[in-house]
Amino acid sequence: MSARGLVWIARARLRADRRGALLDAAAACVGGAALVLFLALGLGVSGAARRMFPADARLVEVIPPLVSLRGVLGGEKLDDRAVGRLAAIPGVSAAWPMLMLKVPVAAPQAPPGLAQSWPPGMTLQIPVLGVPQAMVADDVGGVRFEDPGPGGTIPVVLSRRLLEVYEKTIAPAWNLPRIPPGVSLVGLEMPVQIGLSIVPGKGEPEVTPARVRLIGLSDRVPMYVMAVPLGTARRLHAEYGKEGTYTKVALLASRPDDVPAVAAAVRRMGFDVDEGDRAAAERVGAVVAVTAGALVFLSVVMCVLAALAIARSLSASVAGRAREIAILQALGATPSDVRRVVLLEGGMIGLSGGVAGTFLALLISLALDAAAFSLLPDFPFRPETFFAFPPWLPFLGTAVPVLAALAGALAPAAAAARVEPARTLS
Amino acid sequence: MISLSGVEKSFKDGAREIPVLRGVDLCVEEGEMAAILGPSGSGKSTLLHVAGGLDRDYRGEVSVAGKLLDRLGARELARLRNETIGFVFQSFNLLPGLSALENVMLPGMLRLDSEPPGAIRVRAMEALERVGLLPKAAARPARLSGGERQRVAIARALFARPRVLLADEPTGNLDASTGDEITRLFSEVASGGMAVLVVTHEERVSRAAGRVLYLREGRLS
Repeated sequence: MSARGLVWIARARLRADRRGALLDAAAACVGGAALVLFLALGLGVSGAARRMFPADARLVEVIPPLVSLRGVLGGEKLDDRAVGRLAAIPGVSAAWPMLMLKVPVAAPQAPPGLAQSWPPGMTLQIPVLGVPQAMVADDVGGVRFEDPGPGGTIPVVLSRRLLEVYEKTIAPAWNLPRIPPGVSLVGLEMPVQIGLSIVPGKGEPEVTPARVRLIGLSDRVPMYVMAVPLGTARRLHAEYGKEGTYTKVALLASRPDDVPAVAAAVRRMGFDVDEGDRAAAERVGAVVAVTAGALVFLSVVMCVLAALAIARSLSASVAGRAREIAILQALGATPSDVRRVVLLEGGMIGLSGGVAGTFLALLISLALDAAAFSLLPDFPFRPETFFAFPPWLPFLGTAVPVLAALAGALAPAAAAARVEPARTLS
Repeated sequence: MISLSGVEKSFKDGAREIPVLRGVDLCVEEGEMAAILGPSGSGKSTLLHVAGGLDRDYRGEVSVAGKLLDRLGARELARLRNETIGFVFQSFNLLPGLSALENVMLPGMLRLDSEPPGAIRVRAMEALERVGLLPKAAARPARLSGGERQRVAIARALFARPRVLLADEPTGNLDASTGDEITRLFSEVASGGMAVLVVTHEERVSRAAGRVLYLREGRLS
């Protein structure tokens, strides 16, 4: 039988038993819709979690050990020698020391032109971290991130996530204006007082006015600090008579696969690894992966149930139309043709169910997004959609019901091919 | 055109073998209409199934249009049934989910080298016109009378312009006048050069045949 004939007969058969075909397609549709919806939800929430915790998969943050006898005796300090040793660990491509400024820095007044947005009498205490240029080089667009020297405008870099937290949490809580869409804060300058602290007794005797200029936003900068050039932090420590070793060192592994070995080497050297954001990202990622996995497993179970429903329905159909099958054979169909007709019926049911299921999943995702946006408060990193539909997902959402339906049609097709025309037509 | 030589066939009832055909010899030539008469259960339908290649479990030799059936594979046999043999059954055996026209189109759609559906449709409509049922082409079998259903079945059997027509009690479910009409149709196609073999237990059908044979105790006489 030609392919055209096969399709014609299968379609005619499905048309003749429209109700049964629709019920089977509905089963495939539910399975396919669940698969697409849950996968899209898992991918969407994973993406949102990655934006919330943009941990660099290659970054290992080294901190001094919390408890160490050797530390008391002078070991495991994060000084330049330790940085050199850390940089020499196999698999490490860069080592970036960071220094938390021990001199308080505060902003008692608004940046020029933004006075209306500044709560009256507010002084903003700003934690400052010195970082090397190489660490933020990709995020400052070629602008030099170096110490300008005494009296110069200090270039600073902020965490990209800080802006999101400001938009969704700080601004609403303090009744501050939001950042208008499309407006970049890069280039903004602000006056600060070096040595000024809002905590009584923590300020320095000498307070120096200075200006900072935002030159970029980076995911590598911790969220609640202002990153300044490492040279600036060292200079201010020297000017204010502060001493101390680096607060932490970020190691960039050559490949994500090198991270466990690098972390182990760091621990063998007597330092700790700050899991911080990485651990949070991994925990959130694991929760999302497990939840999405469970939902996908559930949807696969639904597809299997759909396959069983189709198998049961087609088996009953084949048993009920043994005479029709015998007639087809009398008119020139081979047992193989009959088998292919039943398989094609299953495939058509799966295809229509899969396509309908994919559209249904898309509609449900739109409805759920709309419901979420009307019911949930605006929170930091809230995604525009909780669902992600990569181009391969509709194909998968169609292919799985088709395969399930074909699997369900295997046994009925074999039974159809075994129909003996002479016995059946007698 | 149809040749059976020493054909034997038996059915098993548990361990017991019940012979149905005991060395049947038969030859029906082109343009001939032969009728086989016999009481119910005498093996008439079995003989027809063997002659049409629907039943391959027999002893002896059967050839249709010069081809020995036991030498044909499943695909070749299916092709022979599709292109060379037309079947008409007592219970019409139309597919209930298809319209009259679609039932007639079936043999065309089953061919490996089928024509485009449009051409098959035109030919099916011609076949329906030949049996006077073109106005009911869109009707499902359930909406047709017994005579109309049998005429659709005949149009389907004649669709592929077969060289052999095998009919199993074709008037068994019809009233006298409709049965006569169907019998006349068979005579017409036989006079057009087709070999027609009709098994029946009705004398009025056999009267239209050029040759009448009786199947008794598994043997033709």
